[in-house]
Amino acid sequence: MFCRNQTTRATIARGSALEMEIRRGKFRRSVFLDTLQDSDIQKKIDHEIRMRDGACKLLAACSQRDQALEASKSLLTCNIRIMAYMSELQRMKEAQVMQRVALRSSDAGPTDDRLPCKGKVAISDLRIPLMWKDTEYFKNKGELHRCAVFCLLQVGAEIHDTDMVIVDRTLTDICFDNTIVFSEASPGFELRVELYSCCSEEDYSAGSTHRKLASKLSSSLGRSAGKKLRVAMDPGACSPISNGGGATLLLPLPSVGPKYHLLAHTTLSLSHVQDSFRTHDLSISGNEECSHWVPLYGNVCCRLAAQPHCMTQQMISGCLKVKQFGGDPQSWTNVYGVLKGTNLFCYHRQEDIEANVEPAFTISINKKTRIRASEKDLHSKAQSICISNHYGGEEVTHTLSADSREDTHRWMEAFWQQFYDMSQWKQCCDDLMKIELPSPRKPTLVTSKQGSLYHEMVIDTSDDISTVTDILARRMQELELRSQLGTSPPWMSLFEESPGCPRTHNRLPHSPLRCPRPGLLSSEASLTSDSYSPCSTSPCSRHSGWAEPLSSPSSHFRPRTLSLDAKLSTLRGRGYGGVLQCSCQPPSSSSLAPIPAQRIPQATLSCSSSTSSNSSSEGSHSPELSNGTSFSRPSSARRSLRNLRAKLDPRNWLQSQV
Amino acid sequence: MSFIPGQPVTAVVQRIEIRKLQHGEHLILGFSIGGGIDQDPGQNPFSEDKSDKGIYVTRVTPGGPAEVAGLMMGDKVMQVNGWDMTMVTHDQARKRLTKKDEDIVRLLVTRKSLEQAVRHSMM
Repeated sequence: MFCRNQTTRATIARGSALEMEIRRGKFRRSVFLDTLQDSDIQKKIDHEIRMRDGACKLLAACSQRDQALEASKSLLTCNIRIMAYMSELQRMKEAQVMQRVALRSSDAGPTDDRLPCKGKVAISDLRIPLMWKDTEYFKNKGELHRCAVFCLLQVGAEIHDTDMVIVDRTLTDICFDNTIVFSEASPGFELRVELYSCCSEEDYSAGSTHRKLASKLSSSLGRSAGKKLRVAMDPGACSPISNGGGATLLLPLPSVGPKYHLLAHTTLSLSHVQDSFRTHDLSISGNEECSHWVPLYGNVCCRLAAQPHCMTQQMISGCLKVKQFGGDPQSWTNVYGVLKGTNLFCYHRQEDIEANVEPAFTISINKKTRIRASEKDLHSKAQSICISNHYGGEEVTHTLSADSREDTHRWMEAFWQQFYDMSQWKQCCDDLMKIELPSPRKPTLVTSKQGSLYHEMVIDTSDDISTVTDILARRMQELELRSQLGTSPPWMSLFEESPGCPRTHNRLPHSPLRCPRPGLLSSEASLTSDSYSPCSTSPCSRHSGWAEPLSSPSSHFRPRTLSLDAKLSTLRGRGYGGVLQCSCQPPSSSSLAPIPAQRIPQATLSCSSSTSSNSSSEGSHSPELSNGTSFSRPSSARRSLRNLRAKLDPRNWLQSQV
Repeated sequence: MSFIPGQPVTAVVQRIEIRKLQHGEHLILGFSIGGGIDQDPGQNPFSEDKSDKGIYVTRVTPGGPAEVAGLMMGDKVMQVNGWDMTMVTHDQARKRLTKKDEDIVRLLVTRKSLEQAVRHSMM
């Protein structure tokens, strides 16, 4: 007989047995007349049935829990989709029948119903808060009871599922990151949100059998039950769609494997659409006794946005003549008008649209606009359309005239349709809501909640400190430097231009902040190089001086640990300067360790040399500068930067110019 | 200039009155200070006692208001306009000297040569 998988003939041969049967009334002819929509749905049903077969087989064959959960989820989704498609098919057939009946009786005239345009509806950022008992949540007692949950979203016959999320009592909310877009939704859509959950424990069989036994049973049942299922899922065993009645397709569910149960549901419609997040109530089915129970707070937060087609697509376009009301009767402007959204864009030429040239002018068409067709216009034969708007306090009227009567009529139709759409889609037509299409690739980096530097920096073990300082320098530029000490992180100075910190042994780093380094020797003191003038003043030689001791220790620079951050921040709180002296050297870096040991003898050397020449005015500590610059002050940003640097470096003995 | 913590400090001081000079939009005095309770006293080249955390004059701009007033390098600043400078942080000291609404700062400074001069004069 006729099989579902084959396309049926549109015509039935005369004299065939089937025709006889039809005449006898055993089969309705409509069953075999495939309209285009029917075949679409039929294909979808077949596809879903194949998916379901696959899911059943996978469920029977898989051994791992998460695989089983995923398979069960796709099984449930397929089942629900099949049922939805079947009911859609049924509805369409009934509508066809009704139409034919109506045509035959010919009492209904041409339906004058205006249909509103369809639109895109998108739901995203679903979040369902949970309400754990505080004993469970805070004290973290007992075993971690985990449940697998996912959401099904349904508009008409279109069903989408979200990813599966494992929920246990460490979570405060169930978050689904998916953005689900329904492309063809009417303004009267009903978006049904259903939350399914399944207990994610080892034993899937009902009843509370001993755990080991249950696991043994489930694994052994898997194979035999799978065989049973395969037999059961044979397409021949399912009864075909019977005509006239409802779908009596057998949908056997496997008896083994995780089963999802409906936990909560809600229905959203046009009144819930908004450009921002909103909270909606959930109807919860189930109670604490169920195995699949998850304590829901009772709400769901999501962003439900809609883009009606009248806002995103060009509804009508054509050549027009526009004149402003009250103007010179002869001053008609030829434009190419495009009606889109709440505006009628008038371009000089049609090519301007592709060229992305700004329209000559724009007439807004919104709920407050009034359009009427004026009958008489002395200077043209065709009707003209008057569009009135209130801009500010003034009323501005534009008069449009099309080339022919039919065109005018077309434009009026389009305007009426636009108004109707706007009245149906209500708040969605005020402004275009943004719908982000889900990107196919998943971001690999997980954004951390903390903003500490440790999480943002990726330091290779082969990198040396200069890379770290580069990163830090860049970060410092982003930070706002104020003259107050407290607003800048203290770690900044460790990696800035104080000579105490070794830069690199191999190369000079390039950082914009290092440029003013030679300019350090200016009147703005707090200079670090002052104290060490017995060392050579040029950076290069200083570095070369450090090259030997630095190369011998390990060149690995361990990434800075969180504890260092914490330590620095507590130290900063206690005050700057001398307190940081002993503990600021990063303990993790072995390459920095030998440095202080080398610096100190130098320092004392310079100190002693200057104390010996105490009474003389020119000690080696005085920074060299020319008289001309003695009174100049650098810009406040650089000064505060240097202040900060100098203040926080314990190896300095600060000097300030007053 | 060493002191015993907790005991009052006595020193021979000189009064120095510096009139601030307007340079651009800043009022400057024309010298540099170093030291402070938050600084490392061991690096102070001018102090006799390396545990002295007082404020010292580290540099005097030639021709500036400080030099004209008689301030010398190596002086320890004891007071500024009546405010104590022996137990202040470096930043506090700087702020006390650079108050925008003061045109004149009156310092009490001490230096080793002063003590010697007094001792000599008493002999």
